[in-house]
Amino acid sequence: MFYKILSIGLFFSLCPTASAQGSFQIKGVVLHVKDLTPAQGATIVGKDHFAVTSETGAFTINNVAEGTYSFTISHIGCEPKTISVDVDSNLGEVKVFLHAMATVLDEVKVSGKTKKRAIMEVPIVSHTVSEEFLNQNRENTLMQTLSKIPGVSTINIGSGQSKPVIRGLGFNRVAVVQNGIKHEAQQWGNDHGLEIDQHGIENIQIIKGPASLLYGSDAIAGVVDIQPNAIPYPNSFSGAVNVLGESNNDLLGVSAGVQGRKEKWFYRARLTYRDYGDYKVPTDQINYENYIFELHENHLRNTAGREANASFSVGYVSDKIKSETFFSNVNSKNGYFANAHGLEARASSIDFDSSNRDIDLPYQTVNHFKVINSSTLALGEHTFLFDLGFQTNYREEHTEPSPHGYMPTPSNSKERVFHKNTFSLNVKDSFKPNDKHDIVTGINAEYQDNKIGGWGFLIPEYNRFTIGAFAYDQYEIHSNFHLLAGIRYDFGRIRSKSYFDWFPSTIDNADGSTSYVYLQRAQDKTLDFGNISASAGLSYINNNTTYKVNVGKSFRMPLANELASDGVFYSMYRYERGNLDLDPEESYQLDVDIDHTTKSFSLGVSPFVNFFQNYIYLNPTSEYNETQQVYEYTQAKVFRFGGELRASTKLFHNLRLDASAEYVYARQTSGPKKDFTLPFSPPLSGLLSANYQFNKLLFFEKPQLIADFRITAAQEEIVPPEEKTDGYQVLNMSFLSEIDVFKNNLPLEMRVKLNNVFDTKYFNHTSFYRLIDVPEAGRNISLSITVPF
Amino acid sequence: MKFTLKHFYFLSLILLTAACSSDDSIDKDQEKPTISVNYTAGFPQGCAMLTKGETYNFRAMVTDNQALAAYSIDIHHNFDHHTHDDQVAECDLGAIKSPVNPLIFIENYTVDEGLTSYEFNIPVTIPDDIDAGDYHCSYSVTDKTGWQSRTSIDIKIVE
Repeated sequence: MFYKILSIGLFFSLCPTASAQGSFQIKGVVLHVKDLTPAQGATIVGKDHFAVTSETGAFTINNVAEGTYSFTISHIGCEPKTISVDVDSNLGEVKVFLHAMATVLDEVKVSGKTKKRAIMEVPIVSHTVSEEFLNQNRENTLMQTLSKIPGVSTINIGSGQSKPVIRGLGFNRVAVVQNGIKHEAQQWGNDHGLEIDQHGIENIQIIKGPASLLYGSDAIAGVVDIQPNAIPYPNSFSGAVNVLGESNNDLLGVSAGVQGRKEKWFYRARLTYRDYGDYKVPTDQINYENYIFELHENHLRNTAGREANASFSVGYVSDKIKSETFFSNVNSKNGYFANAHGLEARASSIDFDSSNRDIDLPYQTVNHFKVINSSTLALGEHTFLFDLGFQTNYREEHTEPSPHGYMPTPSNSKERVFHKNTFSLNVKDSFKPNDKHDIVTGINAEYQDNKIGGWGFLIPEYNRFTIGAFAYDQYEIHSNFHLLAGIRYDFGRIRSKSYFDWFPSTIDNADGSTSYVYLQRAQDKTLDFGNISASAGLSYINNNTTYKVNVGKSFRMPLANELASDGVFYSMYRYERGNLDLDPEESYQLDVDIDHTTKSFSLGVSPFVNFFQNYIYLNPTSEYNETQQVYEYTQAKVFRFGGELRASTKLFHNLRLDASAEYVYARQTSGPKKDFTLPFSPPLSGLLSANYQFNKLLFFEKPQLIADFRITAAQEEIVPPEEKTDGYQVLNMSFLSEIDVFKNNLPLEMRVKLNNVFDTKYFNHTSFYRLIDVPEAGRNISLSITVPF
Repeated sequence: MKFTLKHFYFLSLILLTAACSSDDSIDKDQEKPTISVNYTAGFPQGCAMLTKGETYNFRAMVTDNQALAAYSIDIHHNFDHHTHDDQVAECDLGAIKSPVNPLIFIENYTVDEGLTSYEFNIPVTIPDDIDAGDYHCSYSVTDKTGWQSRTSIDIKIVE
């Protein structure tokens, strides 16, 4: 990783060398920092001076006039470094320590194509996110960080949890893939956040369109593909510690990572801990469903949380084989806004306001453990890829036990428990018979086992098995003209288990008598699904302009909750009812992407048109069940279109301006909510960014000032039970810099970020708390410091 | 370059045209129904005292711009003071206590098709053997589209 510049130490010895003449001599030595062996043959290049080190690593530059000079020292296998030397009578011996290169620059392809070029050639419309972007824009959660990308937004659950939304679709319609394996948790849940440590990620590919061909069911609206990090360079060791503090929710976060490699074996490890208090919103009271809550010092009470993550991987790499095994565990506990969870808005006996850091009821705990092996084997014209994964997601939701309807007060706070085990296998063969074709065939199989517990029933226990086979060919018609076409078939089986209430309900019979019945909420049922998906696309590169067009059909299997829910969703004041007759969702989409990039500016547009044959939709009916409004899963035809615009230009060398806009139109064209939009439709939104790169400023190296101004239009298109949301403008500022604190070490990276500069009170239409009229977080100052070593 | 820009303009035009030509004139129901007890005959009013053994007519006015669908009445205890209502008055609550045999009244009703205004009137007899104390009376109403409105009223049941 070229940006992880492992620097050299620069040390001026204190013994002075006097010189009688007006010209001086620079004497120095270049050593490897690892073992202090001399670096022979290193080049020292200045504007008018040049030297090569001897066997002992020493070099001499003669006839140098007094002044300040800059030299670049390079040596094979080492990070080049530029140093500055003040030449005067006090000049001593210059010692330069070179660090070995920490990582392999990139996966070197035999064809010699750069990764950028390869992405241009693939007709699938995708967006690549670099570690630099993640570091510059890091927010509280991974998805909040990524929401700066046009077309990507989030559903936030408080300050510490969020889930991905791509072009207005989220939940199980976006697949999140990490190290080749689909992340499987309770994605369907409104209050579920993505259980992935956002630190230590180097590369994310986002596909903003149907991608079932490659990723199977669920990738119907898009994919967030978190790719494995680059393999460290041989005989290297590197690491970094990041410390983060935030004012709005009093967050303190620490993340430390190391990686190293001998010749063929390598490892990586990371520990992250974050602890945050209740977050503050710019309002004193919240009015929800005719209940009014006063907020204590603007704190959204009980939204505190903590997160502890650990990951470790060990790998082996040789000419033909690359294999890495990843272990990771993400553990979090976070509170829900106390007044709007549970059957009724509660002013409980818990003193929520006594501390803004404690996590009282209601809260959730989540533990997500994963082990994944990802291996590639190159055999002649074939490259085989194997991904084998096991993950276990354990989630508990706790609320104050309270009676509801015929349910007596439960004996404990454990309202819901979800325990999901997922086994995944991917096998892929990439066959390159000649320069023109790249034929990829593969199989994905997955088995899920879902268990439930607790006194509140929402979805039944179920297991699910899916298997899919695909083949596609990327054909080079011309070096600038590529075609990709592929087809896939999937089979899936869902087996749901029966469930009976643990308490009796009162039933008034027709004959006037009364019976007490343990109601059945779910049945034993086995359902099979089959589906064909396909995709075809073209990419054409004309000098600085890339054109892409792609048409695809994707699908998503119905989920157990969509098929078989039958219970009160306490946190949402509603009764949810599944529908066993649901078909798999099918979606057809046409994507176009045009990108024009020159040195001074770039311009891009990516429109899409999308049609759902049978979008699964949780429809609020006019019916009641025990005084709770019944929401029923139904299917409707949906027509959507929209897209993103982006422009970027560099003015006067130091100033970069970026602008982007995103828009989605959605309309149900059949079903009970015909002519309505879809829930959580993001409004038209634009982002203007200015990035000014200063020259050295005091002790700040490479200082940058970034201003992000987001302008979002009102969302007037809503569907019951949503509220219209006003437009807003929010300004975020950040200052990034490097600081050379330790002369002989790598510079510190620091970032000061000021979110919501004017403490604007605004509502995010796609926030989980929007339905209960909770505004977005108020002003927040965060300070992040990264110490590399 | 010219070639490229021309395409950009073209595509932007399509996008804009499409964005602006969306047919918003369709008459879709965007209004929630309303529910009110704020009239003379509305019952119960905030902080009302209900006596055991008596029969009361629970009455509220519900309206909608298009068509009402259903309403519900939910009476449950507030012995733990879990919340207060959205009515104007703040009532004096009794001491916090544990329920022994609280009144549970959970009923749903439908409104005749096509009505935009309706006053429901449900007689409920307060049983003699239930716990006296603070209760909530929650009303909710839906329209045909699936919009819902709710209101809740603090009441007290006395001997």
